[in-house]
Amino acid sequence: MSLGGITGNVTALRVTVGILVALAFVPLLHNSYYENLGRGILMYATLSLGWNIIGGYTGYVSFGNVVFFGLGTYTSAALWQHWHQQNIALAVVCAMAVGIALALVLGVPILRLRGHYFGIATLGIALATQEIVANVDWLGAGSGFTVRPLEAYSAYYYAMWIVCAASMLATFLIARSKLGYALVAIRENEEAAAVLGVDPTRYKVTAWAISAAMAGAAGAVFAGANAFIDAPTAFALDNNVFPIVMAILGGVGTVAGPLVGALILTAINETLWSHFPQIHTLFFGAVIVLVVMFLPRGLLWLLNLRGGWKGLRASVGAYRA
Amino acid sequence: MSEFLSIENVAMYFGGLHALDDVSFDVGRGAVLGLIGPNGSGKTTLMNVISGVYKPTYGSVRFNGKRIADVPTYAVCHLGIARTFQVVKPFANLTVRENVAVGAMYGRNGHNRGAHASFERAQELLEIVGLARVAGRWASDLTIPDRKRLEVAKALALDPEVLLLDEVMAGLHATEVDEALELLRTVNGRGVTLIVVEHLMKAIASISTTVVVLAEGKKIAEGAPAEVLASPTVIEAYLGTRYAERQRDVQP
Repeated sequence: MSLGGITGNVTALRVTVGILVALAFVPLLHNSYYENLGRGILMYATLSLGWNIIGGYTGYVSFGNVVFFGLGTYTSAALWQHWHQQNIALAVVCAMAVGIALALVLGVPILRLRGHYFGIATLGIALATQEIVANVDWLGAGSGFTVRPLEAYSAYYYAMWIVCAASMLATFLIARSKLGYALVAIRENEEAAAVLGVDPTRYKVTAWAISAAMAGAAGAVFAGANAFIDAPTAFALDNNVFPIVMAILGGVGTVAGPLVGALILTAINETLWSHFPQIHTLFFGAVIVLVVMFLPRGLLWLLNLRGGWKGLRASVGAYRA
Repeated sequence: MSEFLSIENVAMYFGGLHALDDVSFDVGRGAVLGLIGPNGSGKTTLMNVISGVYKPTYGSVRFNGKRIADVPTYAVCHLGIARTFQVVKPFANLTVRENVAVGAMYGRNGHNRGAHASFERAQELLEIVGLARVAGRWASDLTIPDRKRLEVAKALALDPEVLLLDEVMAGLHATEVDEALELLRTVNGRGVTLIVVEHLMKAIASISTTVVVLAEGKKIAEGAPAEVLASPTVIEAYLGTRYAERQRDVQP
């Protein structure tokens, strides 16, 4: 039997793993621009992979995953500020634990909500958490935290690479396991899934916890690399919206989609930024609108398309009212 | 009083609408119960109550001595009750085989079945229901009769003791109905109790050991197929008073 149908296109996955391996060598260029760019791609890919578990595989669109990223950065920063811990692995583990704990506590009540009600609840949580954190003295309140970076600065690059690769591997393993099928069954039809013995609440909460762990891990590494954390940085709107757009651009509910989306969107963003600094967000917004209008199932999905242009037009039509 | 499956004074109200009103009957182990009634008589609602999708307003359902009215949907299936949906609900973006495998993974025996074994089980069931030829297709590509077959295969993947079949023969042509009946007999022969909702009287008459008739949410008849289907009350409920009167006039 071939790879399970829910890992996505196999060729695309192989190529993407190749890209990921190539990204591991970026620090050897000793060029801080490329290193920062590469670390950004890996970070967004991780956030997008995290979002993809709950939003792509389970079909519950979260607009609040930045909460887990933000709390991850604060966990890392607090470890340095209060206990002088610079260990990246420790920060990552603690940030994942914080994310999982919060996802479990919040998930049980709000994952009982269906579809867009869940999305609205997560958005509320994201806004509320930012306000709360910005007012807690122990977390630096309004003025934020400085984090002393490690001497070996590339350690953050490699850490982000490991976090991203681990998230992709986890997604692959989930997509090939019974868990993956429970999530997809819930996405496809929650009532039918329940009748087949899938406990929807249990698996939705599990999916969100995994999603949170990935976002938290990315946040923990980001804090050290960024050297400074305050609430607007940690809970930035970009960190909430970009990962969603990346997953949609690459292909929701596939293993490779998020990294592909992160690469392409980062490339577009950088190009627009350098050529049209004043109006680059306008262009960026236009790209998002075009993707949603013409590629609702992402670029990777085009590889599976039959019937050339006709097939494409028919499939886009299927998403129109 | 049967110990196996009892519907006890079940009532289901949606606001002022009494979809089911004080319905009671028993189903013996290994029986085939035909559940019939005109459109809107509460058949599907009753299926939803038995499978745990709806909690009844009053009354209860007892299965193997256990009250299941308050058991969540997914757990009802673990107890051994499976159902198909009248309005089919395939997982459109999964293949036909994957659709069935989900049932094998999370059904009654799912906890001791891995992903691989579940796919093998799914393949076996697809052969039984006649879908092996389309096992690798997307479920969204299936024709309506094949979607009905898929519903049956998914329900069978749960290794049920009781199988609720909600109009799985609707839209099938005569040969396909015969095939479906043959399949149901095979399933029943393996000890699975069936509750069959169907509009095709011929099918109901040929397969059922008992028939229960619902009209406007109330049970109006219960008994052996031949006598129930000939009963004037049932004919009246289905075809209206005037038709029943005419029948009475024609007959001596």
